[in-house]
Amino acid sequence: MRKSSMRNLAASGFVLIGPDGDQSLAPASGNGPYTVDVTQMGAAGLIRALLGDGDVYAVRDPSAPPVIEPGEGRIHLQTSGTTGTPKWRAHEIAKLTQDLFAGSAPARWLLTFNPGSFAGVQVILSALIGGHVLIAPPYEASVAEMADLAMQHQATHISGTPTFWRAFLMALGDRPLDLKAVTLGGEAADQAILDALRQRFPKAALRHIYATTEAGRVLTVSDGCEGFPLSLLTDRLTLSEHGTLCVGGLDTGDVVEIVGDRVLFRGRLDSMVNIGGVKVFPETVEAFILQHPGVQDVRVASRPNPITGHVLTADMVLKPFADQNAVKAHLQGLPRAQRPVMTRFVETLPTGQTGKKLR
Amino acid sequence: MTALDLIRAELTQILSDKGAAMGEITPDTPLLDGPLDIDSLDLATLVVALEEKTGKTPFAGGFVLFHTAGELAALFDA
Repeated sequence: MRKSSMRNLAASGFVLIGPDGDQSLAPASGNGPYTVDVTQMGAAGLIRALLGDGDVYAVRDPSAPPVIEPGEGRIHLQTSGTTGTPKWRAHEIAKLTQDLFAGSAPARWLLTFNPGSFAGVQVILSALIGGHVLIAPPYEASVAEMADLAMQHQATHISGTPTFWRAFLMALGDRPLDLKAVTLGGEAADQAILDALRQRFPKAALRHIYATTEAGRVLTVSDGCEGFPLSLLTDRLTLSEHGTLCVGGLDTGDVVEIVGDRVLFRGRLDSMVNIGGVKVFPETVEAFILQHPGVQDVRVASRPNPITGHVLTADMVLKPFADQNAVKAHLQGLPRAQRPVMTRFVETLPTGQTGKKLR
Repeated sequence: MTALDLIRAELTQILSDKGAAMGEITPDTPLLDGPLDIDSLDLATLVVALEEKTGKTPFAGGFVLFHTAGELAALFDA
């Protein structure tokens, strides 16, 4: 018997292009619940389990195995575990698919997220219910590999973190890729990356998404400008006394600032540091540094300092032929307390399983 | 290179970066409120540079009071 919503929603036309080409989509055998180690079985294993009967547990960190309970119609995901041991969270698949926009025109999605992450599952479900092509790179593929796959299979729809997109633009170079949808999520999208994407993919629908673990997708912004319109601050979206955004009364920990008719993200409240009496957000400093055209990506970190409490350091990835001295001169435009006291030029920045910069 | 030599080199860099005048630095030269045109953020920068170049972290256990270039050097020479 095909009972749960997933099987009914998997539209004809869906094709999975895995590491070895088109992959079989035979449903997982036996009865669920299914436990899928995505580090080994990848997106293909997860999709086969989704097409079977019963709940699905997607393991991406085997050190925190799930407690399996009988059930149907749910997918269980591990939180990214950037703060301690991953936790398990159950999601109703019907609820997830409700919030997705499947699209009617045929799409070729590139999966840039970990298949076992919330964002990854959203991309997989979008492709499944829309009957689209899903291009699934090998597990933990590099952004360069993803760019090659996007070219080889001519991806049309890509969703990724701003950190992913900065590296992707560089890896892609000037190869022709006709994207129809460019989506950013998982981190605040700064104006520099939005502008770069608009210029590189002028015909694509450019969207950035604000989501939280608790509330799921909260906002989709499609005007190509960072932050979101002030008019969206309503009963559901409010500001706390700390200047953080609250969704349905729950504090997100994301500090925002109202500038004109726009609400801009400044950084996580828990990443804020006090430098010689000045409150500084590393994310704000990153956004400033990224305004320089020679900077592909940057990670600003804080470290304790006996004089000022904290200081900032910056690891920067430059574009080819960028002038190190010009970039250093750009840093002088930062207010004293925000200026990193030590800068390094590096090849890549470490990212976690979420595709976000590690903090 | 002794820690005092490192302090001299780093301070020269910091002062020249901000276009300030450079003076002689002896072990008795006070770091703040002395002849040198540096503030607490410059001093923080100096400490980070010393930590990087010596691999030592004398403040890891908390703040240790120092006033002069010589006293700071002693912490990194220890």
